[in-house]
Amino acid sequence: MPHLDAAYRFARWLTRSSADAEDIVQEAMLRAFRGFEGLRGTDAKGWLLAIVRNCHATALKQRLRSAAAPLPPETQFDPPSSAPDPQAASIDQDERRRLDRLLAALPQEHREVLLLRELEDMSYREIAAVTQVPIGTVMSRLARARAALRGKYLEEEAGAPRAVR
Amino acid sequence: MQCAESLRLQAYFDGELDALAAAAIERHAEHCDECRTLLTELEETRTRLRRELDYPPAPPTLRARITRLLNEESGVRAPRHAAAAWRTRPFWLGAGGGLVSACAAGVVLFFLSAAAPGPVLDDLLAAHQRSLMPAHLTDVISSDHHTVKPWFAGHADVSPVVADFAPQGYRLVGGRADYFEHQRAAVVVYQHGAHVINVFSFVAGRRNLPQFATRGGYHLLAWRVGDLEYCAVSDAGWDELQGLARLLRDLAAQEVR
Repeated sequence: MPHLDAAYRFARWLTRSSADAEDIVQEAMLRAFRGFEGLRGTDAKGWLLAIVRNCHATALKQRLRSAAAPLPPETQFDPPSSAPDPQAASIDQDERRRLDRLLAALPQEHREVLLLRELEDMSYREIAAVTQVPIGTVMSRLARARAALRGKYLEEEAGAPRAVR
Repeated sequence: MQCAESLRLQAYFDGELDALAAAAIERHAEHCDECRTLLTELEETRTRLRRELDYPPAPPTLRARITRLLNEESGVRAPRHAAAAWRTRPFWLGAGGGLVSACAAGVVLFFLSAAAPGPVLDDLLAAHQRSLMPAHLTDVISSDHHTVKPWFAGHADVSPVVADFAPQGYRLVGGRADYFEHQRAAVVVYQHGAHVINVFSFVAGRRNLPQFATRGGYHLLAWRVGDLEYCAVSDAGWDELQGLARLLRDLAAQEVR
């Protein structure tokens, strides 16, 4: 199943939860499968990610409607993969967690363009198709997202005590 | 205060500009401290995200569960461990359940790589669509084939026939170099009414392109002259594409003579 990893990663960063991401991806794969005819272009990955994004939006709406299940706080996110990586030094781990936290705190419209561009290496056109906004909007959001992430990162770095080496 | 070129600089950084626009922004950045700084910052942010972000692949359990679900969905009663069976056993060895699950898995694989047959066609279509983005259409703008043809000598690996067929309804807009099939292809851009027609030309590979193909509403019409493969891509109708192809083929035949 090509693109399953991309779908899962995207869902995980949309939902900021591994468990929710699994549900979303499962739903998206089923929808993709049933809507097989719906793929007309050539970009299967973008098509799948767009479905993931729609599934996420639907799930959010449902959750908002049912008062029983309150929304998780904005920054809730499971700690990065618990299995410790023997190669990664503890400083690396701190850096990782900081970046995860800062990205998770960005609004979705910023987070998603950053991920699609920087980690999925998609073109503006492809990102526009997934997020359903014009290319110009992709460009301006991307610029704002990059500036926001960098700003927050520098802010923390200035405020944080110096890393002990 | 932000330089007015910052969005364009970002597009340059993201590889979204064509060669001419990229050269222009590089010239601009030479004199603009702000843009040079921005470029460094963009690079830093990218490196940090790619190196440090927690970005794990799909867990194997999820993969297995979805494989099973999709098998069920496709009407096949999935034997347990279906996923393992098709990965470790060639399908012709797997009797019964193994064979069935292999087929089901094949269906699943197929639907996500539906575009797999004809990667060259997909590349051509992608290049055509990319060319329609603002400022991506032409590297050299000219309705004079004496300008366009020599331009290719320095920018592409092939030298296609070029002419302005304005009287016949196909106006020469310009030329562009594009990279695919491991070579620098030459693209001649024509306009027919409201339609842009990209005529790609490259050294023909061993595989023949299908003469006609339709992808995502675009028509692709391919033909060969000597060792050059031509492919016209457009949302114009078949008749219009064939009209241009005929003119180009005749012209090529004249040049050979």
